[in-house]
Amino acid sequence: MKKILLVEDEKPLCLLYEEELGAAGYDVTSVHDADSALEALRTGAFDLIITDIRMPGKDGIELISRIMGMRKDIPLIINSAYQSYKEDFMTWAADAYVVKSSSLDELKARIRELVKD
Amino acid sequence: MEPRVIERHSFYFTQSQKQGSRELALLSIISQSFFQPFSLADNLLVILTALTSGTGMGFNRAMLFLKDGESLLGEMWLGPGSTEEARSIWEVLTTPGIGYIEVIEYNRSLVSKNKDTLTQKIRGQRFALDEGVSELPGLAVRDKEIILVRDARNETGVDPRFLELIGVDEFVCIPLLARDEVLGEIVLDNAITNTPITAPDIKLAGMCGLIAANHVYSTVLHTKVVEMEKMAALGEMAVFVTHQVRNPIAAIGGFTEQLLQPGIDDVRRKRNLEIIRDETRRLENVVYKIAHFLKISLKEPVALDIGPILRSVLESPELKAKLEKFRLAVKVADCPPRVICDPSSVGEVFRNLLENAVEATPEGGSISVTAYPKNDRWFVLSVRDTGTGIAQADRARLFTPFFTTKEKGMGLGLPFVKRVMDSCRGKIEVESRKGRGTTFRLLFQCQEREGTP
Repeated sequence: MKKILLVEDEKPLCLLYEEELGAAGYDVTSVHDADSALEALRTGAFDLIITDIRMPGKDGIELISRIMGMRKDIPLIINSAYQSYKEDFMTWAADAYVVKSSSLDELKARIRELVKD
Repeated sequence: MEPRVIERHSFYFTQSQKQGSRELALLSIISQSFFQPFSLADNLLVILTALTSGTGMGFNRAMLFLKDGESLLGEMWLGPGSTEEARSIWEVLTTPGIGYIEVIEYNRSLVSKNKDTLTQKIRGQRFALDEGVSELPGLAVRDKEIILVRDARNETGVDPRFLELIGVDEFVCIPLLARDEVLGEIVLDNAITNTPITAPDIKLAGMCGLIAANHVYSTVLHTKVVEMEKMAALGEMAVFVTHQVRNPIAAIGGFTEQLLQPGIDDVRRKRNLEIIRDETRRLENVVYKIAHFLKISLKEPVALDIGPILRSVLESPELKAKLEKFRLAVKVADCPPRVICDPSSVGEVFRNLLENAVEATPEGGSISVTAYPKNDRWFVLSVRDTGTGIAQADRARLFTPFFTTKEKGMGLGLPFVKRVMDSCRGKIEVESRKGRGTTFRLLFQCQEREGTP
């Protein structure tokens, strides 16, 4: 079973993603903040990282760059409510950028592309 | 070739011994006026007054054009409309004790009452300013030179329509230039006294022209900056609202999708519906807060003792519970002076500052509230915490709506504080050191004491 690390501080969204991605056959570990994310990366093995970029002023980009520094070759999807980060060059290094929406279809499609058996 | 009856003068200012002090006095008055909260029109009026008042330059009349597209557009024309009018005006203006400031006031009231017959003659009048223009007034702007006309009736280089308007033979045209950009033109004459225009007069008028031009230029720039700031604030709001709205939408959409799946059990259905309800409330709250901030109407400030308002905020159960986790020190001056403020908003302002302090300070830290008169004029309300402090990078945007460093914040608290303090002509001072804490000081104006015994 492919393992996904989810970095998301919105509790309802964590629950939703855990259930939906779980139903799609993935093993989802969710963490709510940057430190737990880095800790999880240090201790566990993952096949994919899905991370939110948090609000401006909360070093969203800095968190991303630290995760990127640690992830080695783990594919990474940015899943953010902010469309504007798409233009930020730091996020270019991500494998996909999915803006949060009422449908999970796009996110699921990107996950399928990036996590192949 | 026809002899030309015009002379050209350079902008450069060479100080003549005789005029030195008069020039300096004039320039100092003009430059001081720029520190006043005057509008562009007011400041231009000051310059035109400087050019026409006996105390200043002493031209009889000054005409102002501003560049508008490819033409010069008449704006203002200061001076007496006739010899009779001149006599009465100059009588007023030469009254002993009447200084420059009074002259400006006089002119302002004249302009505002629409009594200046001259302005009415030129307002809205247009003169060509394109590359091919060969007649005054446009010519001076084209060549970027001061041009003195000695005998306009015998000079082919003057637009006949302009000649008819100005009605004198001798006048000087001063283009308004800043950084190679044309902004307008000033035309000066001595229609009433018929005194010849001298070279020193022209040099000094040229200086005034440069000052006027730079002032117009910086006003134009300022307007652009304000416009850009508005756009930036709008962008900030859009980004913020997007974020606040997309998270609940994603949750609502996802959990609704699950509800539509066949065979969903009752426990899950109930849970999903509850999540959807909560997220809908969250959306509603976002909308409510934005609407509240946008339409908040401030009351006319009045003078009152804010002590009871501060105490009632500190006593409110919700805040009291939050404050219990800190070392709280409150010191409100006995019989404080009455201060100018908006009674309906000052409590919310204080609450905002306290809540910020609570959120920035780790449990067990201290928060102190002091309210004391700083001097006869200002009363200070200070909220100090030993919290995380404000990052240098965030300082400039503290009062920008929708800018927030809080995960769940709306970014509307401090902008509200600023709106309220602006409306009662108060001030806000912020002192903060990263990791050490923050002090917000609100300065309210004290009510003037009447007949203190």
